[in-house]
Amino acid sequence: MTTMEVRHDAAQHAAGRHNDLAIEVRGLTKTYPGGVEAVQAIDFDVERGEVFGLLGPNGAGKSTTIGMLTTTLSPTSGTALLAGLDVARDPVAARQLSSVVFQDPVVDRSFTGRRNLELHARLWGVPADRAATRIAEIAGAFGIADILDRPVSGYSGGQRRRVEIARALVSDPQVLFLDEPTVGLDPRIRHELLDVIDGLHADSEITTLLTTHYLDEAERLCDRVAIMHAGRIVALGTPAELRTSMGDEILELRVDGNTQTALDVLQARGVAGDEAFAVGSTVTIPLRGRSSAETVAGVRELGIATTAITARPPSLDDVYLRLTGDRLGPD
Amino acid sequence: MTALTPDLALPAPRPRSRSFGVTRTLAARRFALTARTPRELVVPLVTPVLFALVIAPALKKALHTSASYESYVAVGTIGLLIPLNTMFSGISVLVDRESGARRELLAAPIHRPLLVVGNLLVAVATTALQVGVLLAFAALRRIHFDVTATGLLWFLAVALLFAIAMYGIAETLAARVSRSEEYIARVPAIAIVPWFLAGSLFPVTSLPVVLTWVARFLPLTHALALMRWGLLHDSSGLHNIWRSGNTTATAGLSLGAVALFALLMTAVSMRAFTRAAVR
Repeated sequence: MTTMEVRHDAAQHAAGRHNDLAIEVRGLTKTYPGGVEAVQAIDFDVERGEVFGLLGPNGAGKSTTIGMLTTTLSPTSGTALLAGLDVARDPVAARQLSSVVFQDPVVDRSFTGRRNLELHARLWGVPADRAATRIAEIAGAFGIADILDRPVSGYSGGQRRRVEIARALVSDPQVLFLDEPTVGLDPRIRHELLDVIDGLHADSEITTLLTTHYLDEAERLCDRVAIMHAGRIVALGTPAELRTSMGDEILELRVDGNTQTALDVLQARGVAGDEAFAVGSTVTIPLRGRSSAETVAGVRELGIATTAITARPPSLDDVYLRLTGDRLGPD
Repeated sequence: MTALTPDLALPAPRPRSRSFGVTRTLAARRFALTARTPRELVVPLVTPVLFALVIAPALKKALHTSASYESYVAVGTIGLLIPLNTMFSGISVLVDRESGARRELLAAPIHRPLLVVGNLLVAVATTALQVGVLLAFAALRRIHFDVTATGLLWFLAVALLFAIAMYGIAETLAARVSRSEEYIARVPAIAIVPWFLAGSLFPVTSLPVVLTWVARFLPLTHALALMRWGLLHDSSGLHNIWRSGNTTATAGLSLGAVALFALLMTAVSMRAFTRAAVR
């Protein structure tokens, strides 16, 4: 695994806190028939009550990881524990503790929202009176009380998503899996839904593992983030830790010419350090205490043609670019 | 937002074994979904009713056969109705997978074979309803049945077992194909072709010798022979299969053959479903 200095060593992270862990993943690997290694020996822990994000582009292995944790995919090797229960050895008990909101709509459309929620309650063994109370409580909190007795087929995308999240909460799960919960929603509804998800964490100690390829989602919702690339975790830490791993400020050069040659020259002349990297037409230089003016002057002196120069604080996208060479965002 | 989890302790203890309640919930769900698409009930019924009420009397008239031929074909059409309905029921499994709540069900803390059992119960119930409608139509058309209590039990037992077996095939096929088009393309080969060979419209001994032997190994041949024994008191089908005059023994053997088929297909379907659910 490629690691950053901020990455928590999994074993060290777990030491002495086993009982506080909602999710423990060790060496989890999934190789699909045909040899596609979707997830490669990943390790991470999620503490009880934590919001943990798996961040990465489509195909990074995020949904495969959730699939293994929710027992709809069988691991090729490695172990995953939910509240101490091995998901491979005791899948029914592990599923009892968790709920999932899937990336695509997974709902009985001809049923009302209420019937979908009641079905979840029955399958998770929630007593009928408790389920009725829970549904009323959640419907009020999510603002879906007035649509709950209409067929789901008539819901908007945002309403359906709310109902799916509400459904997952009916059984009081200890662990909630949210697989790309806002994908495909328009920006307004997406932000409303982020408020809903944020509210979950504010009002309860539910443990949440969410996957996303939206940086703002990860920054806003997650206590810690694991960046996945090509089936591996390439960085893990709080959003702030990950950002500051590149210093307080970066200089972004849009180069008019061969970007790699420009980077080589900048590094050879000491204008850019080893951390600088080139992707597409952009060279990114972590300043590490140097002033942006000084660095821009160095660029000018070397005669490197640029179309734009920007100095700004680093983002998770920069961290990801540095580690993988790919830009985050939907494919 | 109001607090969503006022008590953050572990969920209340739940009974470890609650298979009955879960199966009832799954069957109720499937039944409600089926009831919302009446064509699932009506479409499989159309062809057999047409056979029993229109084609059989027409054949009788054209071929100058006895009145019992109508009864013979009426029972024979049950051998078409059961496979057609159970195979159509299998389509709902694909719909669940493609655009329904299947993954939510797979994430539930239940033993996954119960999902098959829930679907099976509804498939058998709708098939029973359709067989009842077919027989009611036939009775209204004055088609004669010779039913005793024992005969009815033979009929019910074999019809039930055959429906279970055919639903097992439907569930297995649904688990193994990726698209509903592939599924539908295979239905005629499974539901209709055996019907022509199994003594539905004529005794299996009327077939060429090789096909007669093939027919003897078809579960549908055994099922139809027993149904006719049960509803018409006609043991010729059993005799044609086993070439023995001991009707009770041959009926038992044929029921055993269908039961074995039902057991096998149910086991295969549960395995196929579970394997397809977890990749």
